[in-house]
Amino acid sequence: MSKSQYFPKKVYVEKRSLDFPLTKRILKNVGPVPREIIDDPQEVIEDIKASKDVMGAGKKYLLITRQRGEFVKPCPCTPRYLGCNYFIINIDLNCPLDCTYCILQHYLTNPLITVHVNREDLWRQLDILLHRKRHRTVRIGTGELGDSLALDHLTENSIDLVSYFRKKRNVIFELKTKTVNIKNILRIEPAPNVVVAWSLNSLRIAKEEEKGAPSVEERIEAARRVSERGFRTGFHFDPIIHHPDWEEGYEEVIKILLKTVDSARIAWISLGSFRFPASLKAIIEERFPKTKIIYDEFIKGKDGKLRYFKPFRLELYKKIVGFIREWGGKEIPLYFCMESEGIWREAMGWIPKGEENLEAYLSSPLG
Amino acid sequence: MKKKNLPLKEIFLEDERFRISYYFSLEKLILSLQEVGLLNPPLVALRDKRFILVSGWKRVLACIKLGLSSLPVFVIEEKAELKTFLAAFYENLATREFSLLEKAEILSRLKRFGEDEKKIVQHYLPLLDIPSTLSNLESYLAFSQLESEVKRIIHQKNMSFSSVKIFSGFTPQERKSLLPLLLPSGQNKMKEILEDLKEISRRNDIPVKKILSSKETLDIMGSEKLSPLQKTDKMRLILMKKRDPALSSRKESFDSLLKKLRLPKNIMVKPSPFFEEENFLVNFSFGNHKELKTILVKLQELAAKQEFAGIFKFK
Ligand code: SF4
Repeated sequence: MSKSQYFPKKVYVEKRSLDFPLTKRILKNVGPVPREIIDDPQEVIEDIKASKDVMGAGKKYLLITRQRGEFVKPCPCTPRYLGCNYFIINIDLNCPLDCTYCILQHYLTNPLITVHVNREDLWRQLDILLHRKRHRTVRIGTGELGDSLALDHLTENSIDLVSYFRKKRNVIFELKTKTVNIKNILRIEPAPNVVVAWSLNSLRIAKEEEKGAPSVEERIEAARRVSERGFRTGFHFDPIIHHPDWEEGYEEVIKILLKTVDSARIAWISLGSFRFPASLKAIIEERFPKTKIIYDEFIKGKDGKLRYFKPFRLELYKKIVGFIREWGGKEIPLYFCMESEGIWREAMGWIPKGEENLEAYLSSPLG
Repeated sequence: MKKKNLPLKEIFLEDERFRISYYFSLEKLILSLQEVGLLNPPLVALRDKRFILVSGWKRVLACIKLGLSSLPVFVIEEKAELKTFLAAFYENLATREFSLLEKAEILSRLKRFGEDEKKIVQHYLPLLDIPSTLSNLESYLAFSQLESEVKRIIHQKNMSFSSVKIFSGFTPQERKSLLPLLLPSGQNKMKEILEDLKEISRRNDIPVKKILSSKETLDIMGSEKLSPLQKTDKMRLILMKKRDPALSSRKESFDSLLKKLRLPKNIMVKPSPFFEEENFLVNFSFGNHKELKTILVKLQELAAKQEFAGIFKFK
């Protein structure tokens, strides 16, 4: 994958998805890429599964289909750790980037990059959810089963989603990306309840473990432009990886970030240390034989996932929280993704009293 | 396919091109042959004017052991190797489960006899209950290439796919020096040893060979005082410390604190698994009211001890 915009080798269009307006838009935007109309995506999927690197092979193809299940789901926050009451929208599945640690390698059974085009169903499901939750502020985002902007030049999702959410009162909508695919974002009017967020890491980890992603400096530069356009921005240090010189590595990124992007316009920064289901390890070993990130000291957490031994996590968090405070981010809301109360207390100095408390803390963009 | 009676000496057993099973015991089959005779004749094929065995190695070897001079066989007339092999494969598929090494042999034969790789992945892997990916095929093909003494241990210890996969990633010399360590272990210990070795080696950029030839290891493995099982256990501990030094040292300090506290045998203090939670567990047992009272007094005394506060550093 090059670091420029993604174009698939071929587009497969499921016959029954052919007439959706979004299908037409994608086929127009994708340009002279070969396309094939198919009855059943399963055949294509089975074919790709005979490749040596199934996941890598799948990323070369785009599948246009319909979402038959639910578009919107509560974020599967790890049981027994403090969650942040987040909902995810599954419009696109999979992602053209290829991060070593990506959970999708373990999670997805369909290796193709998949776009669901039955948009009307999405709006209907969102209307129902927001009505049901009308007395609370819902945080919702698209970047869980893929990158929110990696396909935006093809789908123009950001335009549709921002225009839907800007009219809604009780919701904060987040686009989460590692790309600099911000052309559409810069074209649209900012909305106070829309946050454009970037996943960041140390320069070394970004270079070695986030294949196909723009450099951290480029991501931060994109964030500056989006912030100056009037959007709120967010940042996710997730996964934080314990690697040689990690302290210097994370401090350097935080310095660049807080020098470049107006911290008053940062809605939140989240921190989450590297954690993964044990079965992802074999996949990573197979696909990224040179990586060492899976050989650190991990323990099996309360949720069954492997995570760093607690003293390591605490050290990582305390330092990074300290760097953010030190380099000008004192007022930025910080939160942990999937951590225990003990870690909150020791690294952050306070513990949210349940999900609603955390939700209120993170809803500050709404004023 | 013709059925005929064939003198055993006319079967050229040195030609093992179709053989997929190597490790088996003949006892039960001999018993059954003695009781009811050979009900299911083996398959043979004619190659270079000699009969070679296609399927039924166990049956033929049992007949030899019984001292029979001939046995009924089916002669496959098919000349193509792949088709001949498939006859044996499907005959077996219908009647029994294949072991991990037999699956490896089957796949390597399919490849050798020219079956299309994609067909092997999509058609044969599922038939063998293996998820159909090319990387699984490659793993099994590598298993089929392992040294026979290694294969014997894999079979004997009924090693899992993941353990064999790690094992096959080591060099032949590394595998050989690991055999005495693996022999006394059960499946879980074996997996732990192999995993720790692999991960230490990859993380620290040290060849497995070097870890296995360190003085510490050589001393343990060469000790005359230790039993094979004790050697394996000691090695496991050393590897664990190398793999997870911080966790191991925390466990050691916790245990040494407990030792200093001199708890009575019927009171146990434990941290949460991997020291992940902030609380501790106290276990005690008692048989009557008096014992319970004594334990409660002991616990109170314990909580008042200054050294006991040291436990909270492990939160
Ligand atoms: S950007 Fe996210 S979704 Fe894409 S490969 Fe990396 S971790 Fe996976």
